[in-house]
This record gives sequence, C-alpha cells and structure tokens, in this order.
Amino acid sequence: MSEEKPILLVEDNELNREMLVRRLTRAGLKVLTACDGQEALDLMTSELPAVVLMDMSLPVLDGWTACRLARQDDRISHIPIIALTAHAMEEDRLKALKAGCDDYATKPVDFPELLRKIETLSAS
Amino acid sequence: MSAIPKNLPDEVQAPVTTRSTSPAPALWSELLLRSMAELRELFTGLGTELGQETADDFDHLFEGGQRLTQMLSSTEAAASRHDLMNVLAAIRGYAELLHEDLGGQFAEVGEALTRLLKAVQAANNEDSTPPVAGTTQRVITSEPGFILAVDDLQENRELVARYLSRSGHIVVTAASGSEALATLGEADVDVVLLDLMMPDMDGHEVLRRIKEHPDWRATPVIVISGSQDMDGIIECIEAGADDYLFKPFNPVLLQARIKAGIERKRWHDREEQYRQQLERNEKFIRATFGRYLSDEIVTDILERPEGLELGGDLRRVTILMSDIRGFTTLSEHLAPAQVVTLLNRYLGAMTDIIMAHQGTIDEFIGDAILAVFGAPQHRDDDANRAVRCALAMQAAMDEINALNRAEGLPEIHTGIALNTGDVIAGNIGSERRSKYGFVGHPMNVTSRIEDKTAAGEILASHSTLESLTGDFRSGDSRKIKVKGIGESIVVHQILGFAT
Repeated sequence: MSEEKPILLVEDNELNREMLVRRLTRAGLKVLTACDGQEALDLMTSELPAVVLMDMSLPVLDGWTACRLARQDDRISHIPIIALTAHAMEEDRLKALKAGCDDYATKPVDFPELLRKIETLSAS
Repeated sequence: MSAIPKNLPDEVQAPVTTRSTSPAPALWSELLLRSMAELRELFTGLGTELGQETADDFDHLFEGGQRLTQMLSSTEAAASRHDLMNVLAAIRGYAELLHEDLGGQFAEVGEALTRLLKAVQAANNEDSTPPVAGTTQRVITSEPGFILAVDDLQENRELVARYLSRSGHIVVTAASGSEALATLGEADVDVVLLDLMMPDMDGHEVLRRIKEHPDWRATPVIVISGSQDMDGIIECIEAGADDYLFKPFNPVLLQARIKAGIERKRWHDREEQYRQQLERNEKFIRATFGRYLSDEIVTDILERPEGLELGGDLRRVTILMSDIRGFTTLSEHLAPAQVVTLLNRYLGAMTDIIMAHQGTIDEFIGDAILAVFGAPQHRDDDANRAVRCALAMQAAMDEINALNRAEGLPEIHTGIALNTGDVIAGNIGSERRSKYGFVGHPMNVTSRIEDKTAAGEILASHSTLESLTGDFRSGDSRKIKVKGIGESIVVHQILGFAT
C-alpha cells in the first residue's frame, strides 16, 4: 500500500486527528492533514491527494459543503472522499453521500475496514 | 425512529431518540472508565519497560479518557455526540494500536485493552444514546457544602472541583497531605475528599492525622482509591474514613456521597452547638447559683433534668436556723454600707462553715440563715453534722466580732435553733420562678424555737437530740410554748462536744 500520492485527513479534533495520522502512517500511508473545510479544498487543489478522509462537522466550512464544492470543481472533482461521521444514523449517511462523498465511515472507525475503503477508492 | 421528523437538526434528533430506546444508558461509560483506570495502573507499573512511542500512545489514550470523563460529567447537553464520538474514536484508535503492540507481550494490558474496546463497542452499539444525558438524569440535590479535595494530580483536582462546584458546593483543593492539613486548620471543612495515593504524606497518613485531631475528627472523610484495592479501603474505614470511591468515579455517586457526608457533618455541628450551649448554661448556673446553693444542689439539679420539675419528696432532715439577736435595732444605728459589711462578713463566714459541714443553705432572710442537713443528699450523720455545724458557727463569732471591733462595728451575737423532722424537699414555686426548698411543719417549729434562743445559745428540739449518735453535752431542757402551733415542745441547750 505504498502510494506515491498522499491521502488527506480532514479532522478538527486534534486527539482524533493525531490518532488517525499515527495509524495511517503505520499502515504505510503518506498523510496530509487539514483542520477545516476550506483548508481541505486548498490542499486538495494543490496536492491532489489519492483519497480524502473528511470529518463532516468542521469549522469555517463544514464537510458537506466542502464536499459539494469539491464536486463542482473540475480540478478536484475526481478525488474520492470518505466521510467520517459521528452519526451512524441513516440520515447522516445519506446526507454525506448526497453531498458527493464516495463512502463513509462511522466514528469510532473500524480501522481495517477504513483501510480497505481507502485501498478500494484509491485504486479506482 | 420513524416518528422523528427528518428535517430536525442532528443535535435535537439524537437525544429524542435515545430516551425511549436505552434502558441502561450509562453502563458502558462506567465500564470504559474503569478499564481506563486499570490501564493507568498497569502503565504506571510498566513505566520504563515501554518505548517512547508506546508511552506517547498511552498518554493519548489517557487524555482521551480524561476528556471523556469531563464530557460525562457535563450537564450541558451541548457536549454533543459529535465530540463524544471523536473522543471515543481516539480512544478506540489508541487502544487498538496499543493492543497490536503490547497485547501479545503483556497479557494483563492486553486484557484491559480488550475490555476497553468492548466498552467502546458497547457505546457504539448504543450510538443513539448520549451517555451524557444518561449519567446526569439522576440529579442529586444537596445542601451546599465546603469540600476539601486532596489529590496530587492537578487534573483530578480540577475535575472534582468542576463536578462539585456545579452543584453549588464550594470546593477548595490541596495538592498534598500537608497542604490539606493546613487548610483544615484554617477553614471549617464539611467533607474531605482524599486521594490515597500521594507522594510524601499519603492519604492513609492524612486520614490518621484528621481522625486524631480533636477539632477535625468529626469531619467526614471520603477516601478515593485509584485501584480496586478493597483491603486498602477496609483499612481506611477502620482508621475512621466515612466512605470511599474507586477511580474513575461515577459523578452521581460522588454527589450522593458528598451529600451524605455534608448531612453527617451538619448533624454533628448541630450536636456540638447544642453541647456547647448546654456547657455554657451549666457554667452559668454554677456561677450564678453556686453562690447561694451548695455545689451539691447545683450538681443534683444539673444531673437530673427531672430535678428541675416542680415537686419533691418527703425527707427526714435536720434544720438549722440562725439569726443575729437584736439585729433590727442594731442596724437602725448603722449606715447602709456598714450593715452590708457586717452582714456579708457574718453570712460569708457562716456559709463556709455550713458548706464545710455539707449543709444545704436554703436561704438567707435578712440576717437569718436557714440551712438543712439531709437533702438533697441523705447521710446517716445529718443530725450530728448539724449540731457540729452550729457549734462551729458559735465558735466563729469571736473572730467575727474581733474584726467588727477593729472596724468600729458593733459586736453581734446569734442564736441557733436545730430541729429534726420530715419535710418536703424539692423545687417549689411556679414555672417562672422556683427554687430548691423545703416545706413542712418542722420548718415552722424550727423558726419558733429560733425565736426563743438567747444570744450565743444553741437550742435543739427533742427529735434532734434523739437523732444524735455522737456525744454532745446538753444543758438545760425547757418546755416552750410555740406560738400558733398549739402545743408545747421540749428543747435542749447544746453546750459542746462531750469531752
């Protein structure tokens, strides 16, 4: 799983962000991080990550909006986005998918499953 | 879930769903915090055996645990599920990492991590349940108290302070045993929350010192143990601890125990106040009435509350009555101040003598003294002591007169009457004013005998003479007609001791 392209992790919760960086890095991935939706869009544009892991409740620009904007931007609309949601309810999942996310993972994430999703999406 | 309108914002939806679907919402959080505490212990034990990276992972894990504790204690529903899930996510992440790294090597750590992960899983399964609401549904209301929280870890102190100040308590913290003792010396603390594991002076020592201190021993102490160390707790309870909690504690349980502690302290305070009030009253009564009543009567009254009730009992007593012959005429020629000097000297000396003979002074009536031997306390030699007392009183007159002469005051002479009979002794009077006193026919007879005494003379009734067991010299006997009694009685002159 040693991709050339990094993956982008968008998470405002520091504790959770650090944890995921640590785990993703250990899994052999190159990880970039962003703390809000706007920063995420900027990094997506400049770094063109392989996959984006995006929390939905974000400051400045929330995850759903960032997702929608990414989908409307030709430069980055192709980048797969996995929504990280704290809500396991159907509505939240639908909301994320409607906003243009390719997949979702519910917090606290099942890490092996998340890795599989990243692999699948970055391969496509 | 179908009943929930889809357009509601998340924050509103979540709590609404949960209440109806979760029977025991808070269980997972207790499970989680308990395994977190276990891990903390194990981690402290392993310490240097671990690499830096692993130690960092542990730090992060514990930080997550701490944030979770804060959230669970928060009464604000705003501690949203999003934040909660983030913390749970971090905890799960680090726990899985640590399990991968250590699970095989350290079985105990591995098991604790597994338990922790199960708790996270349980939280996740109940994901529609905000435990925040679950743990705080039960609200403990309590009289506000002054709580001293003793813990060497700042985060724990802050946590407890936050829990308790939210429910209206005033919380002061101490970072060490010595600091705690200093605070106890300065403030009236209602409850002490005492962590057992502290460097320097540990909780056991602090507890011992509190329970040895006369002013602090009644202050309830709740000991907090970081581990499920039941033996340690039992030791503390034996040493006087009032209650205990294991870390991480359930905030509601903490509140409940604090409440019980405050109530215990308040009860004790009231009791103490009452005791002090009684002590003050007793001191006051002794100081005030001790001048007029013998110590015996005061003690008798104080020791038997029923002794203050009106009423009394029939007692066989020897009554002593003494007065200064011709005092009325005498005092007409003296200045008021001189009369008082004269009387005080005389009454003072007589009081001492009567008390030395264990007589009970009933009252002073002007220059007259009425004393009783045999109440409140009966003794077999009541009559003997009364006679000895009368002789001592007469003997003391020489000295009194010497002093009077020296000051240009007239000499005085007394007559003393003694009579033995059954009287009613007790508190006589009304609810507003009563005194320990005596009534009965023998009292009146004594007074009549007294009327017949000459200066320097002691006259005893026949009944007194019959009651004597010692040897006394008696002189003339006479029959006196007693005014208003309608019978004549025989009285005897008492001259002194038989030699």
